[in-house]
Amino acid sequence: MWQEKNPIEALRWPQHVRLPIIISVHHQAEEGPFVFPDGQPDPFDFSERQYGGRRGAWRILEILERHNVRGTWLICGATLEKYPEISRAVKKAGHAIAGHAYQHEFMCNLRPDEELAVMRKTVSVFEDRLGERLRGWRTCFASHNTVDLLLEHFAFEWDGSRSNDDLPYIVEGHGRELLEIPFFAPGDPAYAAQITQPFSPPSAYSTWTSAPPEFTLRSYKAVFDALYERSAEKTCVFPLTVHDFITGRPSRAKVLDSFIAYVKQFKGVVFTTHDELAGWWRANYTGIGTQDP
Amino acid sequence: MAVEIKRSAEFHWPSRVRLPVVLTFEHQSGEGAQPIFGDRPNYMISDAIQYGARRGLWNILEELDKHSVKATFFVSGSTAERYTPGVRAVQKAGHELAGMSYSFDRVRTASPEKERDIIRRSMKALQDSAGTMIKGWRCPDYRISPQTLDLLAEADFEWDSSLLNDDLPYLFDCRGRFLAEIPFTTSTADKTFASYPHPQRGGPDGLLNVWNSEFDMLYEESQRDARYLILSMQTWVVGRPAVLRVLDQLLSRLASFDGLWYARCGEISQTLRPQGA
Repeated sequence: MWQEKNPIEALRWPQHVRLPIIISVHHQAEEGPFVFPDGQPDPFDFSERQYGGRRGAWRILEILERHNVRGTWLICGATLEKYPEISRAVKKAGHAIAGHAYQHEFMCNLRPDEELAVMRKTVSVFEDRLGERLRGWRTCFASHNTVDLLLEHFAFEWDGSRSNDDLPYIVEGHGRELLEIPFFAPGDPAYAAQITQPFSPPSAYSTWTSAPPEFTLRSYKAVFDALYERSAEKTCVFPLTVHDFITGRPSRAKVLDSFIAYVKQFKGVVFTTHDELAGWWRANYTGIGTQDP
Repeated sequence: MAVEIKRSAEFHWPSRVRLPVVLTFEHQSGEGAQPIFGDRPNYMISDAIQYGARRGLWNILEELDKHSVKATFFVSGSTAERYTPGVRAVQKAGHELAGMSYSFDRVRTASPEKERDIIRRSMKALQDSAGTMIKGWRCPDYRISPQTLDLLAEADFEWDSSLLNDDLPYLFDCRGRFLAEIPFTTSTADKTFASYPHPQRGGPDGLLNVWNSEFDMLYEESQRDARYLILSMQTWVVGRPAVLRVLDQLLSRLASFDGLWYARCGEISQTLRPQGA
């Protein structure tokens, strides 16, 4: 059991921060491809996603380095095992690292014990292979049990699985609290990846990357412009979600590059991570805090 | 099973080449048309594709000739048989002919015997119509079977271009025979942006935008690392005047950049051999 608390007064950013932007890189490579009824992954979708692990993640990492900005990398356990050099480079560059399930499981389809097993496996893979104790978690297709399991069995500081609010809020349960930092979902302009039929085989005509780059850039800028204006008066945060196999393609990486260059011109724009944002909240908040399990 | 050979870190293009540009055209005449109402094919869809064989190909050949660039054409075997003058003209103009199954055969779950037969029939169709032994292949729906690469190597193919997972070509060891993989992408495909009956996301302007964006990023990166620009096009999409104009605009713009090499897939596969493996 868990409940929400919303002590909005704790959601203040440091003095110099007008609009925090969290670039959230979903590094999942070929995990979670479409699977045909015969149990075989779709070779087309698999190959297109594999690009994210072989090349796309590196390109995104290079762009972030070139602009000297940090973000949060949401990494699948299996992706860490298959492409350990990327995760090591991400860690070395000072980005935040969070868990993104083991094989991009659809948690909404799992029983609570199965979901818990996936969480445990992922947490231990990051400890064993990267020496990283995960502080944050995101699963794209969260179940109704996800938050409850995180609170009951782990000591995560934040979760980013929900997409139902502009601002973070607290969830409390099992004698613990964590900060829910909602992200944007398909339908939001800042997603701007054309996901038309996530549950049927992607046709060769309708790929993950079918919006023209200029459309995506305009969409990013539309969200930024609205939030920057709003942030003059109100607390705002911009969690920008990108995927290694989508934004990692050259033509779309160019969009990320242009977007970062664009927003850097604005005063008070700060690129941050979920970990750091959770720290800002904690500095202002006197609740029960997070305890070790 | 085909096993990937790790590409040498020193991989580089021939001297004076900064960025190869690989133009690939997929050529069929309606074999791939999917029925949309009920289970019978209909002229609305198959005609849109047949256009490529009747007109599109010829328009494209003129355009390539105007810009003096060479490209690779993946041809469905039955289209080579039915539209023979087109494939002969491709061959005569110095472009590379490659295979794309016999009749848009979907092989993901096919038996090795069935797939072997499809490859053999496709080779024969191209040999009979254009007098050429094809050395390269692209799976028409980009969904290879577990044995596709091995069967291609067994049939003396030199390269495949059905995967979408890298910025550079690499080699497979197929039971002792080498097969080069030349990965492409649908993220810049003409049909994704400007093809009826599929959603026309961005139309010709969107297509030009994605091609320019792709080239700009790769040209910039090619200063530091080896890269190539590979575009996947359909004769039935880019062959239409409005979309062909986008190709014209791209090729005209690229003419002002140094170090570009319009390479056919066979030439790309050759660059792998002397260096590695």
